[in-house]
Amino acid sequence: MENVDIVINSLVSGVLLGGVLALAALGLSIVLGVMGLVNLAHGELLIAGGYLMVFVMQPLGLSSLLALPLVAVLMAALAWPLQRYMLQPLADKPPESAMMTTFGLSIVLQNVYIMLFHADTRSIQFGNGVSSIQIGPVGFGRIYLIGFVLSIVVILAVHFLISRTAFGRDLRASASDPVAAAVNGVDVRRVHGWTFALGAACAGVGGVLIGSIFAFTPISGATYLLNAFAIVVLGGLGNIFGTLVGGLLLGVLQSLGGLMLGDGYRDLVGLVLLLLMLALRPQGLLGRKGG
Amino acid sequence: MKRAFQGLRKSRLVAASAGLVLGLAAATACHAANEIVIGASLPLSGPLAGFGKYQQWGYQTAVDDANKAGGVTIDGKQYTFRLIVRDDKTDPNVAASNTETLISRDKALVMLGSCTPALVNAGALVAERKKVPLVTGCDPLGAFRSVRKWHYVWDIFFDEAELSEAVFKMMDDLGVKTDKTLALLHDNGPDGKVVGGQIWPALAKKYGYKIVQKTEFPVDNMQFTTAVSELKSKNPQVVLVDAITPQAVSIRKQMAAVGFVPKVLDMEKGAEPEQFAKAAGKLSDGVLVGAYWDPSFKYPGASQLSKRFEKETGLSVSQHIADSHAAANVMIDAIIAAKSLDRAQINKAIAKTDKVYVVGPVKFDQTNTSKLPIAMSQWQDGKPVIVWPRDLATGTYIQPK
Repeated sequence: MENVDIVINSLVSGVLLGGVLALAALGLSIVLGVMGLVNLAHGELLIAGGYLMVFVMQPLGLSSLLALPLVAVLMAALAWPLQRYMLQPLADKPPESAMMTTFGLSIVLQNVYIMLFHADTRSIQFGNGVSSIQIGPVGFGRIYLIGFVLSIVVILAVHFLISRTAFGRDLRASASDPVAAAVNGVDVRRVHGWTFALGAACAGVGGVLIGSIFAFTPISGATYLLNAFAIVVLGGLGNIFGTLVGGLLLGVLQSLGGLMLGDGYRDLVGLVLLLLMLALRPQGLLGRKGG
Repeated sequence: MKRAFQGLRKSRLVAASAGLVLGLAAATACHAANEIVIGASLPLSGPLAGFGKYQQWGYQTAVDDANKAGGVTIDGKQYTFRLIVRDDKTDPNVAASNTETLISRDKALVMLGSCTPALVNAGALVAERKKVPLVTGCDPLGAFRSVRKWHYVWDIFFDEAELSEAVFKMMDDLGVKTDKTLALLHDNGPDGKVVGGQIWPALAKKYGYKIVQKTEFPVDNMQFTTAVSELKSKNPQVVLVDAITPQAVSIRKQMAAVGFVPKVLDMEKGAEPEQFAKAAGKLSDGVLVGAYWDPSFKYPGASQLSKRFEKETGLSVSQHIADSHAAANVMIDAIIAAKSLDRAQINKAIAKTDKVYVVGPVKFDQTNTSKLPIAMSQWQDGKPVIVWPRDLATGTYIQPK
């Protein structure tokens, strides 16, 4: 049995990281739930957030917290045309057409990042987030706590947006039955455009936090996409709070996996969970059966 | 009528496009008759891209200088050198196929190597099979020798056993006071397993260190919360890490996150390129990494090469500009000495190399290797400083903060 301090520290870090991972997965969940689109370029959108922070916000001298909403807005602005001109024309085609388009987009984006930013390893200096917080025997990075709190705030804000606003009503209607929504006057194409932009905005913010805690390169997106899929499946497709629960659960279980098997087996834990959930409860923890 | 005209236009367009594509393909495959093509597969993307861009500059600079000096005259005919680089994307399979392509399609007469054992050896095996001379400056000698008995491939680099021991020698020599508790974190790549899994544990025993933690992880792992929690709990004063740059940055940041600071922190491989210091920021201060070259070393052209690199690229210098520059010059000198385009003759000339290059003295032994002396470099205020051995030191050892 591991030292108790190590177990407690790992679990606390797991919970905090889980919150950040949940935010990183939120965009994927929304896009999948509303548009039925498996966005294989989600990892690259995360990384785009990191690059925007390093190459646009920080050179402008903006504080990290102030820069985050700007990253979100910029990401939404960049993502909207992608949906409008690349994915929307495929709306009438089988779903794999759009999925394969996002796969192609992910490869294009990786190469664009290499051309623009070189293949160097980057990491974001998020204010004084690098310092440590010590509570008794438990120590964790300030950035972990900042990331966790920000994730909760963003997830609650997105939940409010979807459950309490006119846009949210249209979005839920489009997700439930796009044809009926269109008949009732909802501009489904517009909703899909804004949904993709919202997903990209969440991914951008998640990418900044991921890039602050870890490091990233132009090809790091795939690693985080895998975690995001596991979280979305765990929590339930398109379920906002399910994504949070999935993230926290994955964070804790990955920490337990790391404790028992070593840090190198964290992703294995995530993949096993993904397969188990798909086999036993494909609708996810908070998802409804058949919907 | 209109449809027929459109059909004609379409077919002409297709024919013109096909002609253009064929023309471009032919243009890429053919070279001027008075050019000697030197091929190189380099990691210009992927996790090792931090090495590749420096190597590319070193190779290209050596080739450009040789051409400015008049190239080479063979049988009364003047030749210039042309470097063709293909990106191996940090993938050994691509490194092997690139080498095939460079030799067969690009008509490379000779080859220069990629970086790290996995990439260099993958390409080197192809060159060896095709009897094409290849000189590399980025493959630790033990890993290179372990593959096979080489005939056409030559390696100028450090011996990983010496590099691994350098940090222990440094601590002894500089009198760095620790309680001799040590932790090892290493990836499960070929060199990570050898250095972290075998050489360091043996050296720890030899120098009287107690290993309190030993963690192995996959090369692409990014989360180290359990490993750093263990570090925090066991509090070793010496931490040795063997990982590539993204992982090294991640480990360093996660150590800081739990408030763990060892007295000695050596991060081999990953802490070597400048991008480590940029990505880790202040956290890079005090991080050690083995070194085999610094602009301050008294080798011909060392300081000038460094200044030239910084002037041309605006980047801080890396030791990989020196090993690549030297490898390319060894190859060029061999072609000049052989006075022949025959690969066997060039290979014989490489074997006879005995000269001090910008990276240090180069003379190959029976295993086709030439060993570079080792130093310890440390990041201080974002700059690499040689802190050991004393006679080469450009700064004083500091502890990580």
